[in-house]
Amino acid sequence: MKKLFGLLLVLSNVFTVGCEQDYLDQPAPTESVNSSVIFESKAGVEAFMSGILRVSRSQFERTDAGGLYSMYFAREVKGNDLIMGFQWYLFDYENDNREPTYTRTTFSWEFPYSMINQLNLYIDGVKNSSSLSENEKEGLLGQGYALRAFYYFQLAMEFQHTFAYDTSLAAPPIYEEPALEGKPMSTIGALYEFILSDLYTAVQTTPETRQNKSYVNRNVAHAMLARVHQVMGNWQEAANAATIARQGYSLNASEYAQGFDDMNASEWIWALPQRSDQTNYFYIAPHAFTDNESDGFGLAFWNKDFVSLFSPTDVRNTFVDLYGVGEGNDYYARASSKFRFSFSADIPIIRSAEMLLIEIEAKARLGNENEAASLLLQLQQNRDPNAQASGNTGNALIEEILVERRKELYGELGVGWFDAKRLRRGITRTGNHRVGSPANLLPDDKKFFLKIPQKEIDSNEYIDNSVNSNR
Amino acid sequence: MVILAQQNIDVSGIITDELGMPLPGATVIEVGTVNGVSTDFDGNFSIEVLEGATLEFSYVGYAPQTILATTQGPFNISLQPDNTLEEVVVVAYGTQSKQSIVGSVAVISESDIQSQPATTITQAIQGSVPGINVINTGGVPGTNPTIRIRGIGSINASAAPLIIVDGAPFNGDLNSIAQEQVASISVLKDASSTALYGSRAANGVIIVNTKSGKKSTPTEISLSTVYGSSSMATPMHDLLGVDDYTRYYWEAYSNNEQYENNLSPAAAAAAASSNLVSALAYNPYGVPNPVDNQGNLTADAAWSTDWKDVMLNTTAYKKQHGLSVSGGSEKTNFYFGSNYLREQGQIKSTYFERFATRLNINTTVNDFISSGLNMSYTTSKQNTPNQSGTSFSNSIQWIYTIPSYYPLYKRDAQGMITNDGNGNPLFDYGNNNGQIVNGVRPALSNENAYGAILNNEILKNRTYVSMNGFIKIDLLPQLNFKSNILYERFIFDGSKYTHNEFGAAASVNGRVSQDRDFTTTLNAIQTLNYSNSFGAHRFKVDAIFESYNRENNLFDAQGTGFLPNVRVLNGSTIPEGVGGAINQERLMSAITRVSYDHDNTYFAELSFRRDGSSKFSNDTRWGNFYSLGGSWILSNASFVETTDWIDYLKLKLSYGELGNNRGIGFFPYLQVFDTGYNQLDNTGVISSEFVDPNLTWEKTALLNIGTEFTFFEGKLEGSIEYYNRESIDLIYNKPVALSTGNESIKTNVGAVKNYGLEFSFNSLVLKKENLLVDLGLNFSFDRNEISDLTQEEFIEGDKKWMVGKSLYDFFIRASAGVDPSDGYQMWYKDVTTNEGEKTGERITTKEYSEATRYYAGKSSLPKMVGGFNANVVYKNFDLNALINFSFGGYVYDSVYAGLMSGFSAPGRAGHPDLSRRWQAPGDETDVPLFLSSQNDFNASSTRFLFKNDYIRLRGLNIGYNFKENWMEKYQLKGLRVFFQGDNIFTLQSHKGIDPEQAISGRTNYRSHQMKTFSLGINIQL
Repeated sequence: MKKLFGLLLVLSNVFTVGCEQDYLDQPAPTESVNSSVIFESKAGVEAFMSGILRVSRSQFERTDAGGLYSMYFAREVKGNDLIMGFQWYLFDYENDNREPTYTRTTFSWEFPYSMINQLNLYIDGVKNSSSLSENEKEGLLGQGYALRAFYYFQLAMEFQHTFAYDTSLAAPPIYEEPALEGKPMSTIGALYEFILSDLYTAVQTTPETRQNKSYVNRNVAHAMLARVHQVMGNWQEAANAATIARQGYSLNASEYAQGFDDMNASEWIWALPQRSDQTNYFYIAPHAFTDNESDGFGLAFWNKDFVSLFSPTDVRNTFVDLYGVGEGNDYYARASSKFRFSFSADIPIIRSAEMLLIEIEAKARLGNENEAASLLLQLQQNRDPNAQASGNTGNALIEEILVERRKELYGELGVGWFDAKRLRRGITRTGNHRVGSPANLLPDDKKFFLKIPQKEIDSNEYIDNSVNSNR
Repeated sequence: MVILAQQNIDVSGIITDELGMPLPGATVIEVGTVNGVSTDFDGNFSIEVLEGATLEFSYVGYAPQTILATTQGPFNISLQPDNTLEEVVVVAYGTQSKQSIVGSVAVISESDIQSQPATTITQAIQGSVPGINVINTGGVPGTNPTIRIRGIGSINASAAPLIIVDGAPFNGDLNSIAQEQVASISVLKDASSTALYGSRAANGVIIVNTKSGKKSTPTEISLSTVYGSSSMATPMHDLLGVDDYTRYYWEAYSNNEQYENNLSPAAAAAAASSNLVSALAYNPYGVPNPVDNQGNLTADAAWSTDWKDVMLNTTAYKKQHGLSVSGGSEKTNFYFGSNYLREQGQIKSTYFERFATRLNINTTVNDFISSGLNMSYTTSKQNTPNQSGTSFSNSIQWIYTIPSYYPLYKRDAQGMITNDGNGNPLFDYGNNNGQIVNGVRPALSNENAYGAILNNEILKNRTYVSMNGFIKIDLLPQLNFKSNILYERFIFDGSKYTHNEFGAAASVNGRVSQDRDFTTTLNAIQTLNYSNSFGAHRFKVDAIFESYNRENNLFDAQGTGFLPNVRVLNGSTIPEGVGGAINQERLMSAITRVSYDHDNTYFAELSFRRDGSSKFSNDTRWGNFYSLGGSWILSNASFVETTDWIDYLKLKLSYGELGNNRGIGFFPYLQVFDTGYNQLDNTGVISSEFVDPNLTWEKTALLNIGTEFTFFEGKLEGSIEYYNRESIDLIYNKPVALSTGNESIKTNVGAVKNYGLEFSFNSLVLKKENLLVDLGLNFSFDRNEISDLTQEEFIEGDKKWMVGKSLYDFFIRASAGVDPSDGYQMWYKDVTTNEGEKTGERITTKEYSEATRYYAGKSSLPKMVGGFNANVVYKNFDLNALINFSFGGYVYDSVYAGLMSGFSAPGRAGHPDLSRRWQAPGDETDVPLFLSSQNDFNASSTRFLFKNDYIRLRGLNIGYNFKENWMEKYQLKGLRVFFQGDNIFTLQSHKGIDPEQAISGRTNYRSHQMKTFSLGINIQL
């Protein structure tokens, strides 16, 4: 009897456990969602776009290789206006940071390509979605194309001579779709063609409205297009795009001196936002590196030749003698308060003043000098109530515009390097630089671009070590 | 009932062993009652029993004897060693006699464990068992080591063995188990012994069995206390003092101006002198140019910070107290153990504190039902200032990064120490923006690692609860059923505080982050066991059904904005983040094992397990795993029995196929979108890395051939085994072209083979009346080889993988030394024809990126690892030593490489070997010239690849056992005092590191292991 009881116990036990047929099916992920959730609703796709934008300002590799902001600041320190102390971006400042195994090289390749992969998945998913309307798809795709072109443009700038040098030169590979197989190098010509084609679609379809200034709207797409045309020397197209881009983003001199940390400033067209719970801590450039008074790294200073370009009444004259060393040649004699560092500071990516200056330059180069000069004076007087018309024409006017670009955009995007590269000029260090002539760049200097990373050569069957010979 | 006038009588006598030596602690029981006593130190006993009762005398390892109690006496009982008594070994889902094992099982017995009272059980394994590699990376007490059994059979999934504690897979930290409470450890190495664990068995299994009481024994209490003091077991790399550092930096600056920027030597020297202070940003010398144009110092330094001295404990204290009570009546036995440990670490303020309690009760309910419950509760607390990783506050990174040139305390521009309001010096965080001299440190600014130790807090609290109950029903004499339910909960509670006024979180007034992770495991095992014999044929069949459910429940929160001394989240003004997730894993299995033996001579065993895992898709989740094994005890066969020097000889063979599903996350096959990438108020997701939806088990095929033997009347015993273990369908993040935007895709790729020979010998060299000498040696030769890849080769960091090579063969640039003409570092590169074909010739280059990478012919895996142990007993003294060794492995010392950077960046520490640098044309040296600009001189090459052989005295225990008559007066059954030394002696081929490095063979910024001297006492009541 007892044993029978025991046997029953055994059987019941086996029975109970054995009957749970879906025992193995029950566990399901809680930290992620599958692609059907993403691509079957507009809200889902928007969440993907939000994620992509968030990653563009993340902490990718290390303090000086974090996100888009690090690419910009690495360009900034290569020029003649900023003097980097002994701090992060040290070797970029020395124009000596381009070998295939270096972090800068790998980051400047890997980061844009990882963004492009996410964008390709985004574009692919939206295209193939069965529940989005064609109208919805168009608007969503526009943002994707704009961003994809933007990141290919960064690759074009970082990994080859400028467009005007030789369009047949090898350029980074082009991926139109999500891929697991590497592709061979493209050419500069093909790459720019691809960038333009994406941007032309984007300026037609990207919505006018957006959730906030961190998203891409039609103004942003036009602004990206203006920059590309500016590099390519397509002045009429550059002028047209820049004009549209800055519509609705009026100049406001009073916001210039407020720390450059709030994307609600009327001049800001596109920005990387931060919030105390969505911060990149000490990674963010330029703020953490140029603010010598807050708790960031600091130690970025400004060339005395550059500082001397500003009149005392110019709102952009943010320079201070922080260490009380006088107007001397000490490299640390001139700090700037343009960018105020905090964990919640927003980062400017495109502002209307830059668009205005593209328009001015384009018009000047198209021979419409009067309009160019008048728009330039408009900007100058907005910044400095005492500004007077220079009366410059011809080359002198172009040079004045280029100086104005540096004065307006310093610290933000590497304007000195950008202009020297696209105009095939060199960079000659003057003034009180800490590292002077050894960091000079000749016109069309190879140091204007990086070698192809070893990691790519090691993993891509179409690219071998010869890609870097003569680079 | 007739009451007979039986009388109580006193029976006394002495119990001795076969040599006539008294046996203290032998048991005397009145059979059928709970009446019993133990012998004293001289083997004497005295017991009051009814006349005519049966007395049983027993002692572990000896055959019991019985006599009838009479008034004659005293009795002289001589117990004989029990050769027929089979040593019982804990194996998968049960126990087996040692003889009947067909596979490879190494056992660390209770006496082995007790002879080396270490803090954690993994220390007992290291060096004790051949074929097992235990690596302790770092000197943080309470940290789990890396354990590998028979090579490395997995790359991306877990390569660690499965740990089973009292029958259940263990998900807590091994350091939560007090060694004192462990009865035995079995290491299962081959397929036939592990196959029953199926999909989790591919990397071997370690079974830990905790103590239980013995039935029908008097209650025994044991108390122990150990006090110890620790310091670093091996010294760290030497570092430059402030004067050398300053002069060398000047030289680097001057060289850079002269050789890179083409200034004249005089102009270069002048530039170096005038720019030195601004480059280094600090000035301990108080004069504008501390180094003159000739490179000589012009003043004395006001400080030279010895960061090691500031941050390392010269003596760290350790204490451990243990209490255990055990015993049993005829039907019930119990064990209760409680252990307290507190141990300090190498870095100041580091400690580990653990309280471990365990209760184990077994009872026989009636003649066919028995049941038991084993409960444990462990709680530990660990304070671990950062001492690994890349956080600025990592103390070890700090020591190896910040030169003595930089001050511990904040200095004003004139070099005077800055005090706080109370007159105490402030630490220098290197962020004094307001001054240009002694202002912003060029490296690790906004931090001070010693300040971080004192001001910040990184606490890890762990609580581990387990309940393990069983009921066993004998349905028939040959058939029984056992049901086990095992519940385990592991709670991790991490809490970090970053100071509100100093350091990384000062700008947000401090930060508190907390993590609470609950890991709950429920494991149900139903076993039917049938055993029977027909003449010389004996059968045993197990049928097992198992279900396993593990749930991981994570929660974390972080906030900033704290008032001074507020360290809890309630004080936060701004929430910085909150997160949480629940992950679940399930496994369902049917298992069977059939064992057969013929006449105790021929043994065969078959195991089969079918596993379904929720980690894989519906189509790929089921896997079948099996093993076959057989053994033959030749010494029981008639033709060997006559050879008198052979006591025991066994041959064995096993083969099986196992799986591995551990260490790959919860849903590795799902291509998903990860949440948590919110952009301001909008929800954000991004696509996870590409995965293969058909991802499935890694499989391992394992062959084992071995022999076990005892020769010369027990003088020499040992085993020799060969294994070949091939893992196929490895789960691996296969690299894809970086430009695809993916670094890799997770898929089943290729195969890797581990094979080797293992030797284990033990010899009872001497056994005399007052002296016993027992020596053991074990070692193994293990090889690792890639046997299949889906593509020709991968480059994986400083290794290249191709068929025929090991996963751990270094593939790096080859240093060609320093060019004596200009002092630049050179490497080799292949000469190629215009078509890109190699000519076979190689030349030197100074362009690092042009240099060719070669197989260095060196592997980070050692060629041989093993251990040596000695046990000597002389009268009341005993000595037990355990040495472990590792030969033939190489280490890439990236820490040393960092110290040899030659001042390419300011504010980085240097090694005294830099004094050998090239200084003038013609200098023959292996250290290139100093240059204060970016260069590749210390980039990854054979220049920093070093042989990493070592021999370590892991444990030395010397004890004295009191056997005095006076002890009886105080009711003491045993008293022992001992000295214990851990890691007290290390011989190593490459100095400056801890020889136990990560398997990849790259050093990183980690603290070293400790050497500990302890004194202890053990009392038995």
